[in-house]
Amino acid sequence: MDVGLIAQYIMNGLMLGMMYALVAVGFTLFFGVLDIIKFSHGDVLTVGAFIALATFVGLKAVGLDSEPVLLVIMLAVSVFATALLGMVIARYLVLPLRSAPALNTLLITLMLGTVLREMVRLFYPEGANPKPFPALLPSGSVNIGQFNLRYDNLIMLVAGIGVIVGLQLLLNRTRLGLAIRAVAQDDETARTMGINFTVVVLITFAIGSGLAAFGGVMNGLYYNEINFGIGLLLGIIGFAAAILGGLGSIYGAILGGFLFAALQTIGAVALPFASAYKDVFAFTVVIMFMAWRPTGLIQEKISERV
Amino acid sequence: MTTTTPAILEARGLTRQFGGVVALDNLDLTVNANEILGLIGPNGSGKTTFFNVITGIYQPNGGTVTFENADVTGASPQKMYHAGVSRTFQRSRLSLPLSLFDNIMIGNHKRLNQGLWFNLMRRQAFRDEFEKNYQAARALLEIFSPPLVRRMFEPVGTLPMIDRRRIEICRALISAPRLLLLDEPSAGMTHDETAALMNDILLVRDQNRNLTIVIVEHEMGVIERITNRCVVLNFGRKIADGPYRSVAADPLVQEAYLGASV
Amino acid sequence: MTEMNLSRAPSPASVPVPSSASLWPSIVALAFATAYLIALLAVEEQTLIIGLLTAAVVAVVAANYLGLFVPVGRSFAEHEGTFGLAAIVAAFALAAYFHEDHFVLLLVVTVILYIVATLGLNVQFGYTGILNFAGASFFGIGAYTSAVLNAHTAVPTLLVVLIGGLCAALIGSLLLLPVLRTRGHYAALVTIAFALLFKTFLEVNDVLGGPQGLQVGGMHIFGWSFNDNLSIGGIELSFYINYFLISMLLLVGAFVLVRRLERSWIGLNLDALRLDETAASCFGLNIARWKIVSFTLGNLLIGMAGALFGMVGSFIAPNNYTFADSLILVSILLLGGIGNAWGVIVATIIVVIVPEKLQTIQEYRFLIYAALVIAVLLFRPEGLLTRPVRRYFPGVRS
Repeated sequence: MDVGLIAQYIMNGLMLGMMYALVAVGFTLFFGVLDIIKFSHGDVLTVGAFIALATFVGLKAVGLDSEPVLLVIMLAVSVFATALLGMVIARYLVLPLRSAPALNTLLITLMLGTVLREMVRLFYPEGANPKPFPALLPSGSVNIGQFNLRYDNLIMLVAGIGVIVGLQLLLNRTRLGLAIRAVAQDDETARTMGINFTVVVLITFAIGSGLAAFGGVMNGLYYNEINFGIGLLLGIIGFAAAILGGLGSIYGAILGGFLFAALQTIGAVALPFASAYKDVFAFTVVIMFMAWRPTGLIQEKISERV
Repeated sequence: MTTTTPAILEARGLTRQFGGVVALDNLDLTVNANEILGLIGPNGSGKTTFFNVITGIYQPNGGTVTFENADVTGASPQKMYHAGVSRTFQRSRLSLPLSLFDNIMIGNHKRLNQGLWFNLMRRQAFRDEFEKNYQAARALLEIFSPPLVRRMFEPVGTLPMIDRRRIEICRALISAPRLLLLDEPSAGMTHDETAALMNDILLVRDQNRNLTIVIVEHEMGVIERITNRCVVLNFGRKIADGPYRSVAADPLVQEAYLGASV
Repeated sequence: MTEMNLSRAPSPASVPVPSSASLWPSIVALAFATAYLIALLAVEEQTLIIGLLTAAVVAVVAANYLGLFVPVGRSFAEHEGTFGLAAIVAAFALAAYFHEDHFVLLLVVTVILYIVATLGLNVQFGYTGILNFAGASFFGIGAYTSAVLNAHTAVPTLLVVLIGGLCAALIGSLLLLPVLRTRGHYAALVTIAFALLFKTFLEVNDVLGGPQGLQVGGMHIFGWSFNDNLSIGGIELSFYINYFLISMLLLVGAFVLVRRLERSWIGLNLDALRLDETAASCFGLNIARWKIVSFTLGNLLIGMAGALFGMVGSFIAPNNYTFADSLILVSILLLGGIGNAWGVIVATIIVVIVPEKLQTIQEYRFLIYAALVIAVLLFRPEGLLTRPVRRYFPGVRS
């Protein structure tokens, strides 16, 4: 196998891993602060992607043509709107079910995911069909040996890393981040220390959802196409990645995301005749791993007082 | 007077830690057959952890546990139950939507026929077994609270806390265990309710000289009244062992509770 | 093992108290419901259907307000066995009314088989608390098994139904094994992943017909082909009557099984397991074993229903067994009242029939049911028919 091909596979893997990591971080954040699994997360990503697309269409209609500007506005609108959506979900669907069994929250977010997905399919113009997503990043590439490195992929990769680094800085170097980590560890004590629990939860949901929107736009730019179902598989992969890395650990989520992408790549390489099975392969490995180490690579934070 | 009653439960060098916290620290603890042993100590001294390790919910990090001369170190909760160890929980763990009868029957697991064919096909035989166990549950419940017998098929969630604790104790007793572990059974009860509960436990005990009880309590009046012997824990270690009177007077014990030599 | 020595006089036996509630309120309610259902199924015109549906909602709300459901509920609880027989009679009456109508009979058979599948899901989800979001996939396993066996082997079709169930049960157990000792959301992950990948698996496998799907041979019993119309004494019967009969057989069997399961020590084990695993372990319950038993049994029912359904429809495609379809099954369970077998029946009838009759909302049914479940979870988590406390035998009192 030639080096160029390997490098291509690696690049693909990195891009996918980045997207999975962004989704997985969301799952882990929500689990951390509220001990819940928010199954609508993947579909929130879909909504983010479609909002970006709608913004694009709207801006083009008023004559805006400059690609960088378009992209920036699309991102801003999408991230902002999706963050808002995340807060609304938290405020009206998740927080009220705090005292109900965790199962109810899981179910309600699962159903919410369906609602979001169906609304895109039914109400976005021709939402049932795949929609082309504009290529707004500089096209062109550079050849490194036999490997063709595309500029847009490089930019997305760097941007993705930047977002994750930014998140890490936010969580570890700011007061807000401290508050989030405090609530994630022990919300009762955090509250007695004067931290406003509801506000922290809402902000966490906003951040997680914003990340998803970013991931959705990235997804659109990478594949040049979006459809109403992209969030579904991405969501479940993100969830698997978060579990793989250990629910509640940000590093774990990032690690899990890249690991899952690596597994998919290995699967695609190992089974060239049936690349559709790469997902089956990756999930099987993850499930086997879960049977062996249920708490993930980095300890899942469970504390149940007996 | 020293008795040479054989030990029913023996923990040697028992250690359990959670991350950096050492909950049980090389603990040696013996429970003699047929006694009522009080297990006391300040909050966080390891009493509930001890119960949890004995009943297999946590694995010990070191040491051994022997029950009726058999090594049960690290045995599963199921195995301990089948061996004859039964318990109540500090945080009442009843199934609230289920009836009183259902909850008590959960404790009777080893005596109920669990076969699929029996339960699904042999309904008359099942009915007979149901009747038999219903009588047993009734009889047991009547000792603790005759009014509750009328509510046997109501959900446990409708009961006040004290009645729930009674049901929990019935659940622990229905299978005729050899060792009963009570974790703060009188929590949340008034003085009179506590006294009544203790009377009932003693009554059950009187009729079953084969039953050994270990009781964790904070109300010292209870400990003084019903226990033969006390073990005091502090920071996961045993700091005193003997009848209540002598243990209460022990300066080490007082220091553990009050923080400094009085 | 020493017996508890309790020196008290034996308490009076728990003789079933003579039933104080009359049988009639529940029978009358059943008659009304059956008549209404016949009307709803017979009517074609959309505005009439909307009118009928609105009338039903109004009637139910009004009846509830007037407290009419209380005597019905008591009557039902005391005479559940007799009520069950009456319900079977009602189903036959309905089938007799529509004996020539292929479309309605197919719908009725669909409802019956969906009920069987959801009863299986109820055992897993409602009683044991195992999250199974791949119900439609197991249904599909049954269907594809029957397609393959009927096309390539001479296995008697009745046996094929059973084998379909067994395949689903086996694959289900394999799926659950890795996550037996983990928390609930792992089972969710595994079943959702399975649900998503199952459809892809079907589509990439030409052996299984690919995206176009497969034909399924009809049922034969001793040479009697189920796909031929009948004629009895001059009356023409749709061939779906054959399938109606066999489906009712499956339903009655499954229902009795599930009810007996619930009203037994096994049902108690499952509930204990669902409500508090730790406490149940401390009282000897083998958690892994009962999870597997429950999951397998549930999938057996789902698979059998799927295998039969394949033969009824005579054509299956991957598009019918998607994640969204699995969520419909879960929605039925949540709407009807999780854990309540009768609730399953009521909810399935509503969820399957209404979009079929009200064609305008067919497209929107996933959205509508998801939204309804959200509303239920927020405001009435127990669902339509709450699950009552376990009564091992009707009429048992303290």
